[in-house]
Amino acid sequence: MKKTAIVAVMVILLAAVAYGGGRTEASQAAPADRNVTLNVMMSFPRFTEQMEAYFDQFREKMLAERGIDVTIVLEMPSSEQYNNILQTRLSSNDAPDLFTLHASADLPTYQKAGYLADLSDQPLAATLYPNVRETVSIDGKVYAVPFESTVWGYLYNKDIFEAAGLEPADTLDEMKRVVEVLKANGHTPFLLAFQEQWVPQLMTALALGGKVSGHVPDWVERMYANNGSYREVEDVLDIIELIMANGTPRAMETGSEQGAANFANGRAAMFVQGTWSAESILSVNPNIRIGVGALPVNNDPSCTMVNLATTTSLAVYSRTPEREMALALANYILDQEASSALYESLKFNPVATVHQFDQFPWAEDASAYVAAGRAYRDLVLPPAVTDEQGKLLQSLYVNQIDREDFIRIMDQTFAAANSAR
Amino acid sequence: MKTNPNIRVLLFAAPALLVFIAIKLVPVILGMGYSLTNWNGIDPSWRYVGIDNFVEIFTRDAHFWTAMVFTIRYSLFVVILLNVLALGLALAIESQRRTRGLFRTIFYLPNMISMIIGGYMWNFIFTQVVYHFSDNWGWMFFDQSWIGDPTRSFYAILTVAVWGGAGYLMVIYIAALQSVPQVLQEAATIDGAGSIRRFFSVTLPMIKQAFTICLFISLNNAFQVFDVVFALTGGGPGRSTQVVAINIYEEAFARSNRFGYATAKSTVLFAVLLAVTAVQLWIMKRREEEL
Repeated sequence: MKKTAIVAVMVILLAAVAYGGGRTEASQAAPADRNVTLNVMMSFPRFTEQMEAYFDQFREKMLAERGIDVTIVLEMPSSEQYNNILQTRLSSNDAPDLFTLHASADLPTYQKAGYLADLSDQPLAATLYPNVRETVSIDGKVYAVPFESTVWGYLYNKDIFEAAGLEPADTLDEMKRVVEVLKANGHTPFLLAFQEQWVPQLMTALALGGKVSGHVPDWVERMYANNGSYREVEDVLDIIELIMANGTPRAMETGSEQGAANFANGRAAMFVQGTWSAESILSVNPNIRIGVGALPVNNDPSCTMVNLATTTSLAVYSRTPEREMALALANYILDQEASSALYESLKFNPVATVHQFDQFPWAEDASAYVAAGRAYRDLVLPPAVTDEQGKLLQSLYVNQIDREDFIRIMDQTFAAANSAR
Repeated sequence: MKTNPNIRVLLFAAPALLVFIAIKLVPVILGMGYSLTNWNGIDPSWRYVGIDNFVEIFTRDAHFWTAMVFTIRYSLFVVILLNVLALGLALAIESQRRTRGLFRTIFYLPNMISMIIGGYMWNFIFTQVVYHFSDNWGWMFFDQSWIGDPTRSFYAILTVAVWGGAGYLMVIYIAALQSVPQVLQEAATIDGAGSIRRFFSVTLPMIKQAFTICLFISLNNAFQVFDVVFALTGGGPGRSTQVVAINIYEEAFARSNRFGYATAKSTVLFAVLLAVTAVQLWIMKRREEEL
């Protein structure tokens, strides 16, 4: 009897402990079956906070669904240093599991070097909008998750334009009239921020894109075959000279961020800068109404186009030891439930069917050009050529060279880039 | 037991020697190897191209030689300005009794800041602060483009380089000045020598070794300058302030990812620098012996 009582008490106590333990377990997250560490490198430090929060969500999801405790080590070098660091890491066998790349400028080189995992059979690939999918595909295979898909032209201040009764110009003559009206109303037409050469280079990107797509579609191909010249697209310099002659002073002293702040403060009515600077502009003046216009090159409206491109995209390292989890993270970037909030908070455009949010007003302006068939895909030029264009535009601005020099040097640079390939 | 003195020296030098070999010598040798390839810095494979890269540098790369000419011009100016200013500061500070320590600290301070940070600091001053003087106080001398004008940006770079480098050389000159025996100065004074005569006939010959060291350091640094120019003008506007180190950096990272070609350029810079410093040391040593 005594024994029976002791056994009964023990059973009750064990049951109580088991019940209590069960309660405790249920109130906490499930214990991890295994731990995984993913190294992620991205090139936009301004979004560190948002990305860390998003990766925390992924960590919780993996722990709950698969019992895997994922630690994500996020590195965000500055965009100027990013490519150097990534190249060093890749060539020293210390590659991150996932890393961002410029979709048109870098993706082909890294894919050719064999560093990128094929994502075509992943769920994310099926959700991409067709025109966006093209921008991250090589030979029909998807190699990256698009982050920043941009449709961009020049930015204009809608309030200033409406007050002056102006619409974005479709031809060069119309643009000249817009410039005169703005000046008559006491506004500086263009914001110039040429301290970093990639900003003036945007003018060549837009003007050349429009001119080539509209008038000489085989120009790039012929330039690669040493059978073309910048003389054929010389009129791109007309709009560039118009902008330089009617811009804010001290352009060489103004960096891109300062330029965005000056534009936000209404120092000029137009700014040849992509929609990626919208966040910087709105952080200075949340009430500014930004519009996007296509930059006219000449008097043929068919050359007046916006650029349709994917800039930043996220790739998975082909030889990552944590392939399964790296792919899971890549897919989570376009997660059905979570992705919309992420892209909206980053002020990025929708890139996939999972994105259920309204476009920003400036993106709607730009999309209207796309809908009208007035958009061109990034011209794929050698990086040395793009770099030289920016440098020469700085030199043109400070009167170190003239148009003839520009054409001659660019032809030489393209030929040199061809022979170096 | 008596150890061989050579082995003892080697043992003491071994840690520093190992570090030097690992982070200086090995990369230099590897770099020279890469200079004979077409490696793009990304692709794991590359092709041996012989001396093609060097042929291209010497026959077709006008930008490299423009940068080289600019670097030589910069080096000439900066070496003279740095040494004159550093020696001047050293003399001025040594003549002070009470405030010597304070001024020494003040003029040495810029050397404590990384030049890339100093460069960005001056970038802010040249682009934001100086216009305050012209816009608000009417000092129109400041109302010009200091880092956006091809000519003035050279002077802006010189200003920052001298600001950042003078303090270090000043300390070397101060140490040399302190080693000049006081009795020699007194004897010269008794012989009727004035302060200028004493400086040229007593002080200067006595600090000749410091000259050799300071010229060597400043010339070496000037030829390899990167940080100040990168932070201040980025080599611009256009290429008007591009130095060789920036030209090499752009070739490797910003323009075409031609790592093999960029290392060939580095090898050329190394050879030029070696020749220049060898000649400089040879001349200075001969001067030292003459003095």
